[in-house]
Amino acid sequence: MSPRLRLAVLGVALLALVPGAAATIAHLPDFGATIAAYGERINAIAPGERHVANMVSAINFDLRGLDTLGEEFMLLAAITGTVVLLRGRRGETLTDRAMRLPGRAILPRSEAVQLTCRLAGPLLMMFGLYVVLHATVTPGGGFQGGVILASGTLLAYLGEGYGGWRDMVRSHWLDAMEGGGAVLFTVCGLAPMLTGAAFMQNVLPLGTFRDVFSGGLMLVENAGVALAVCGGFTQLFLEFLEETREADGPEEPGEDSA
Amino acid sequence: MTWLPYAVAAWLFAIGLYGLASSRNLIHLVGCLSVCQSATYVLLLGLGYRYGSIAPIFYDHPPGTPAVDPVMQALVLTDIVVGATLSALLLVLTVQAYKRSGTLDPEHLKPMSRGGDKAAPATSAKHPAR
Amino acid sequence: MIASLLASWPPAVLVPLPVAIPLLVCAALLATAHLLPGRTPDILATITALVVSGLSAIIAVQAGDGSVDYWFGGWQPRDGIALGIGFSVDAASGWIGAFIGFLYACTFVFAWGFFARTHGHFHILMLLFLAAMIGFCFTRDLFNLFVWFEVMSVAAFALTAYHLARSSIIGAINFTVVNSLAGFLMLGGIGLLYARAETLDFAGIAQGVAHAGRDPVVAGGFCLVAAALMIKGATVPFQFWLADAHAVAPSPVSVIFSGAMVSLGIFGLAKLSAVVFDGSAQIREAIPVLMIGLGAISAVLGGWMALLQRHLKRLLAFSTISHAGIMLIGIGTLSAQGSAGLLVYVVGHGLVKGGLFMIAGILLATRASIDEIALRGLGRGIAPAGVAMAVAGLLLAGLPVGLLDTGANLLHGSLTAAHPYALAATIAGGALTGAAVLRAAGRIFLGLGEDPGDEAGAPSEAEREKADRPLWLMLAPCCAMLALDAALPASWIHGMAPGAVTAFSHHALRGMVSEGPAWPAWASVAGALGLAAFALFRHRLPRLVVGPIRATQSAPTRALEALHSGLIGDYVAWLAVGLALMAGVLAYA
Repeated sequence: MSPRLRLAVLGVALLALVPGAAATIAHLPDFGATIAAYGERINAIAPGERHVANMVSAINFDLRGLDTLGEEFMLLAAITGTVVLLRGRRGETLTDRAMRLPGRAILPRSEAVQLTCRLAGPLLMMFGLYVVLHATVTPGGGFQGGVILASGTLLAYLGEGYGGWRDMVRSHWLDAMEGGGAVLFTVCGLAPMLTGAAFMQNVLPLGTFRDVFSGGLMLVENAGVALAVCGGFTQLFLEFLEETREADGPEEPGEDSA
Repeated sequence: MTWLPYAVAAWLFAIGLYGLASSRNLIHLVGCLSVCQSATYVLLLGLGYRYGSIAPIFYDHPPGTPAVDPVMQALVLTDIVVGATLSALLLVLTVQAYKRSGTLDPEHLKPMSRGGDKAAPATSAKHPAR
Repeated sequence: MIASLLASWPPAVLVPLPVAIPLLVCAALLATAHLLPGRTPDILATITALVVSGLSAIIAVQAGDGSVDYWFGGWQPRDGIALGIGFSVDAASGWIGAFIGFLYACTFVFAWGFFARTHGHFHILMLLFLAAMIGFCFTRDLFNLFVWFEVMSVAAFALTAYHLARSSIIGAINFTVVNSLAGFLMLGGIGLLYARAETLDFAGIAQGVAHAGRDPVVAGGFCLVAAALMIKGATVPFQFWLADAHAVAPSPVSVIFSGAMVSLGIFGLAKLSAVVFDGSAQIREAIPVLMIGLGAISAVLGGWMALLQRHLKRLLAFSTISHAGIMLIGIGTLSAQGSAGLLVYVVGHGLVKGGLFMIAGILLATRASIDEIALRGLGRGIAPAGVAMAVAGLLLAGLPVGLLDTGANLLHGSLTAAHPYALAATIAGGALTGAAVLRAAGRIFLGLGEDPGDEAGAPSEAEREKADRPLWLMLAPCCAMLALDAALPASWIHGMAPGAVTAFSHHALRGMVSEGPAWPAWASVAGALGLAAFALFRHRLPRLVVGPIRATQSAPTRALEALHSGLIGDYVAWLAVGLALMAGVLAYA
């Protein structure tokens, strides 16, 4: 189809959808009037039965923990896929030089940037850990904290340059972190079964309400998620940044494809 | 205006589709896909909202205080992870597509020679011999 | 020790394991991949797939005529309201899980050492893919279904582009964009259904749907969720991504795509329409029109497109569209017989189509080409593969032997009285796709057909796969799958089907499951043989016969080719058209 014809087809189709969408929207519950019985019920029982203050974490790690397990592995699939697809042609060798565009001046990093990054890096890591640890009492959790931790490593790239970043970050360790976190989460599901409980049943002591150590098994799962997300996202940054390095030679053929 | 958030969601999805259909740059295309996805965020959070309620975290407020629907928030959290994974994968594919074919214009990216008996074969000069 | 533990557990305890075990193995593989010696991932992955298959089969047997329910985290429903996520495994879901495990095991054997240098990345993605498929089959929670749907998609996107050739990257982009939109549609539909039913559990939503009566919110939810699953199931007009993706993925991955992933979309739709949406009269009115109409079009169009291809994997990809259409017709009958036929067809088709993709992989590896014209006569040295391909082609066409035929036979039986046009479409679909495969087999392995001359050397993208495995190793899993398809007795299926369908549909579908007529199968086989012979020998026929056929066929053929443009913008426009079509049918139902 020519672009114009395509847009015409799309426009007609969308116009045809308008009455249906309007009828659906008109019959939806009024915005802000009420919430669903399921959510109401969870708000009512979870603080008492799981001693946690953050309902979203209670859902993510306990009531609907299986969804989070799937989500965790979705991330793992995406990152493994990214590694396969980006690394395929490039291979895995290390190089300490970034790619240079001919004609563009190379400015040394200013000391102010370096200092800021060195100061901000540890602070950001601390904040990431704080967010991870307080999953059950305040907004936050393994996913959010893991991403913050991973972005802390990016400050090393900003401050120390490609070579410094590459010295710090090793792909094998990241694989181990990512896989290890995922193993930990899955084991949190399987281990309760050995005691005769259900998959991912919260069999650990639940702790005190509004305390950092509340929620029992959720804390372990949360740690697994944080580990996997931190390792995974750093791996993601690593692979994308590797695209900026200088090529060693002619491109290698795809990862074992032919 | 009790319908406004839902209408916004529908509009976001439609405008995202328009962007996808008319896009001439793969990176723009990835952005348009995120716009489509934003429609689901708006719809889900809109459905889970209730006036006069707190966030579903009973730290400063005692349990029993009316709170918004935590299920929808958990679903959106999962949805955000979906969005992150899709963006990462699509951007990788974009990088590789650019390396192979030297263009980012979806109009110039066709998967393979059309397979019919008499179809003209596609050129694959950019593609390294394997 | 494990044996004693197993004995002390109630049978239902096995339910989470077919999902958890592959996840655990794949995470462990990722963490330790650099330390493991060469073939370990192959061995581990094959064993895991077999274990999954065995566990699913045990659960299926335990389920009997009912279903095994399992609540994660020990959150049993209170006052009849589900709090957590549940799995509900009936015999049909369990056996399909067992089939998927078997398919993966065969694929891992087929791909033995093929991906050796990748630190197990291929196996990690495949095991995730496996776990997601099993979760998708077993779950009874709508959002959990979405999660597994997305895990499946993400693993599939990455696997498609594995070769990193130009066509595979673009195919993967098209696949990713269209299937991501499917995910968003599904999530939107889940939001609407949640707003109405206020729960995510299948049984709870079914109550909400039945209670709501004629309600645009429920209809909208159905429209979005069904569209998402039909995109996965490659139904016209959502089918475009499939040919692009399946044709370019590595052959072992295509085996899974065509053998299980596409049919799972249809399987999910069948489950949801029976379990969740049965209570809405409006949706029950719309389903036959939509599913039989679109399914029949897919069956014929996919078959016709398959016949036009010379790229072997693209040919098989289009035949998958055709067979997915035939399965969709089974949903549209809204009868126990049709659903039984559809479920059996999913397994039979997966075994046969998987075998065919393996043969395409064998040709890619040993003959370094996938082009039917270029391969003419080159298959003579690998006659066993030729025999397997011919057998698979005949089975695909509907040869009345084995599982695929049992399914088709049940489907035909449910169609004869009420839907004669749909019956014709299923026969045509089988004949066209069978003809395409038989023609390719005849040309490649017997050297039949016109001497192509220069045509054979037409420059097309050079494709090949690594030839590092002996022929028997690649052929053995293929033959195992075909043998399993042929060997499963129809009487066993007929004995199990009525109870299994009642449990599968949560008592929404009941009634007799009886044998259908035999003539459609023979009509389909005869059509396939005739069409294949015509394609191979038309250069010997008098011009008087060939001329008119060529003249009438060329215009629609060119139009069809132009429709499958490979441009993502077109696909998005057609997606909107399909949505509008579904909304329109629902509005008038």
